[in-house]
Amino acid sequence: MNRYFFYNFMLVSLMNLMLFVPHILVSNRYSGAVASLLVAPVIGAILIYMFTNAMSRYPGLGFQDILKLHCPRWLVSLSSIFFAVMWWFSSTIVVVAYAVLINRFFNPDTNSTIILIVLVVAAAYAASRSTLTINFIIEITIIVNAPIILFILFKMVRSPQLNLDSIRVVANYVTKMPTIITISAATLIFTGYIYLALYNRLLPPNFRFKHLYIYPVLGFIILVITFFVPIGFHGTEGVDRYIYLWAVTSDSLSMQYGFIERVVFLFLIVFLNLTLVYTMSGWHLGMEYIKGCFKGSKPEIDSPKAPLSNYIILGTFATATVLYLIFTNEKLNYLITSYWLVLRMFTEIVSVLWIFILSRRRLRSE
Amino acid sequence: MKRFAAVITLFLVLLSLSGCGFKDIDKRFFVVGTGIDWSGNKSKPYRITLQLAIPSPKIEPGASKIQYETIDAPSIAEGVRMLKAYVDKELDFGHCKMMIIGEELAKRDINQSIDWMLRRRDIQSVATMAIGRPTAENVLHVQPASERYPGNALLLSFGADGTESSYNYAETLSGLSRRVTEKGMDPVLAIITNDGKESYVINQVALFDKSKIKMILSPTETQMFNQMSDHFTKASMHGMFKGTPMVIAINQLNSSFQIHKNNDPLLINMRIKMDVVFEEAPNGLFESPWGPVEDALSLEYEKATVTLLKKIQKHGIDPFGFGLRYRAMYPGPNSWDNWNQLYPNAKFSVDARVKIEGTGLIR
Repeated sequence: MNRYFFYNFMLVSLMNLMLFVPHILVSNRYSGAVASLLVAPVIGAILIYMFTNAMSRYPGLGFQDILKLHCPRWLVSLSSIFFAVMWWFSSTIVVVAYAVLINRFFNPDTNSTIILIVLVVAAAYAASRSTLTINFIIEITIIVNAPIILFILFKMVRSPQLNLDSIRVVANYVTKMPTIITISAATLIFTGYIYLALYNRLLPPNFRFKHLYIYPVLGFIILVITFFVPIGFHGTEGVDRYIYLWAVTSDSLSMQYGFIERVVFLFLIVFLNLTLVYTMSGWHLGMEYIKGCFKGSKPEIDSPKAPLSNYIILGTFATATVLYLIFTNEKLNYLITSYWLVLRMFTEIVSVLWIFILSRRRLRSE
Repeated sequence: MKRFAAVITLFLVLLSLSGCGFKDIDKRFFVVGTGIDWSGNKSKPYRITLQLAIPSPKIEPGASKIQYETIDAPSIAEGVRMLKAYVDKELDFGHCKMMIIGEELAKRDINQSIDWMLRRRDIQSVATMAIGRPTAENVLHVQPASERYPGNALLLSFGADGTESSYNYAETLSGLSRRVTEKGMDPVLAIITNDGKESYVINQVALFDKSKIKMILSPTETQMFNQMSDHFTKASMHGMFKGTPMVIAINQLNSSFQIHKNNDPLLINMRIKMDVVFEEAPNGLFESPWGPVEDALSLEYEKATVTLLKKIQKHGIDPFGFGLRYRAMYPGPNSWDNWNQLYPNAKFSVDARVKIEGTGLIR
C-alpha cells in the first residue's frame, strides 16, 4: 500500500505547474526563491515524518476520526468545514486555471465557462465514487501519464537550448533570504502526504511506511526542474514575461519525428488528465470532511452505492467553482492563489502539529 | 436507469460545445510564412506579407502553390486583422514556421514584431526567425522550382533534415526572445537574400544590440562565427602552408570559452578544437610530417578569429554570451555594471587546435 502514498505525493508535486508555483518562484528569483528551494525539502521532510508517524498510530482512521476521539464536537465540525473549504479551493484553482488554458491554447473561440462546466461535471462525478475507487483512479492516471512527463522532462533537460549560464546566474542568488511567499510556494511540492488525512482509512493495521527518505529527494528534484528549466530556456530576464510559463517552455521544444511536432499539445493533454484527477481527489476529501460533520455519519471506504449526500455536496462544490470563474479573472486568480498558498502552508503546519501532539499524548496515557 | 440518465445528461452538456467556433480544415488558410517589413510610410509603418498555402492533392517537386497577401498597416495585429477581409478562409498561424523580418525594419526595431509573435498563442515558439534582404516580401515571393509543398524549401534550409550549410544560423522565436531580454547575450539572425533567380542565398548573419542591427558579417566571417558559437555544421576552411593553398574539411568541432578576471585587462580565452580531413592538398603531404601543418593552420585560424572577436567587440555587442558567463562566474550586485565597463577593453586569446585525421583517399 506504500505505493498509493507515493501516487498521491507525485500527483500533487506534478500539479504545482498548474498552481502558479513556477510563476511565483520565478518572479521572486532575485529575492529568495533559490534559498527557499533548499529550505522547502527540509520543512517538507519534517512534516512528512511527523504526519506519517502520527497517522500510523491510528490505523484505519482518518484525520477527522482521530479528532473526534480527542476533541469536542464543535471544534471538530468547525475545523472540518475549514479543511473542506481549503480542499475545495485547492482543486478549484487548478481546474479554473486549466479551463482558461484550454481557451488560450486549444481554441480561443471557446467559452471557458462551458469548458469549465464539462470539466467540473466529470471531476465531480468521479469524486462521488468511493474512497477506494478514487485511489485506483489516481494509480491508473499516474501510471499512464508519468512516462510522458518523464519523456518531456528528459527532452528538456537534454536540450541544447538549455543555457547553463543563465541557470548559474540565478543560482548565485542563493544567499538571499527566502520570503514567506516563496517558501509556501516551494513547500507545495511536498504536500502530497496530507492526502493521508483521509486515505489513512484504507491502510490496514500494522502498516509500516517504507522508504520515506525518497519523498524529500524526489520533491527536491521536481522543484529544481520546475524552477530552473524555464530559466534555462528563456533566460534570466525573459522568463518573467510569460503567464503560462511551462506551457510556453514546452512549446519551445519540438519533436521533429513525433506524431505531433509541438510538445505543448502533449504537455496539455497530460495535464488535462492530472488536473481532472487532482480535482476529483481534492473534492472527494472535502466531501468526506463535510459528511463527517453530520451526526450518525459512518466512514465508509468502499460503499457499493454512492449516497445522495455525495451528489448534493459535490453539486455545491461544482457550482461554487463555476461562480469563482465568472467572478474572477486571470490576474485576480493569480493573486488569490498566492495568498492561498501561504494560508495553506500554515494550515498544514498547524494540522500536522495538532495530530502529532494528539498521537503523542495518547502514547503517554497508555 | 439512473446511470443511463446520467450518461444522457453528460451528452446533453457536450452538445452545448458544438458552437465553439471549430472550423473545418478546408475552411482554413494555413499561413506558411510571415514577413514583416518597414513600409516607409509613417502612418502605416508595417508591411505584412503572408504566404498562404494552397493545398494540393499531389506532393511532387514544383507542385507547391502559394497565394500571397500584402498590406500596410499601423500595427502588425491590425494588419493581420485587415487581411482577413482579403481572403475567404480563416487565417491559421499554427503551421507558420518561418518568420521573416525585413532588413529595413530590423535596422529600426524588432521588439514590436517579437512581442506580437509571442503574444499570439497559435504562433509556435519553435518557429524559425530570419532577416529578409532587401525585404521580407521579396524573399517570400521566391518560389524554388524544386519545392514539394508550400513553404518547405526555406524550412529545409534551416532545419537539420535538408541541407547542412555552415553559413546558416538557425534561430527560433523563443531563442530570439531570450536573447532580446537577456543581459549579456545579444540576438543574432541569419539573412536570407534572393539571388535574382528562383532560389535563396543564406550566407550572412546580422548581429543585433537589444533592438536593431549593429553589424552584418561577411560570408567568411559568418562561417567562422558559427564555428565559434558552437553552431557547428560540417564546414570547410582555406589555409596556406608554405605558399601552397589547401582546403580542409572539418569533421568535428568543439568550442568553449573562459573568462579570466585576474588579468588586467579582462582576458577572454576561447578554445576551439577541430578534427579535419584534407580536401585539396599539395602532393606528398601524406609522407611529410603533419605537425608543422597543423601548427600553421591553427595559427592562421587564431589570427582570423581574434580579428573577428575584436571587430564584434568594437561594435559593443556580445552575441557569444560572454557577459552572461561573467555574471554567472562573478556574481554580485554590481556584476552587470562591472562587465559593461570591462568588456570594451577586454583582450581576447584564441587557442585553436587543428588535428589532421587524414589526407582523404589519396596520398
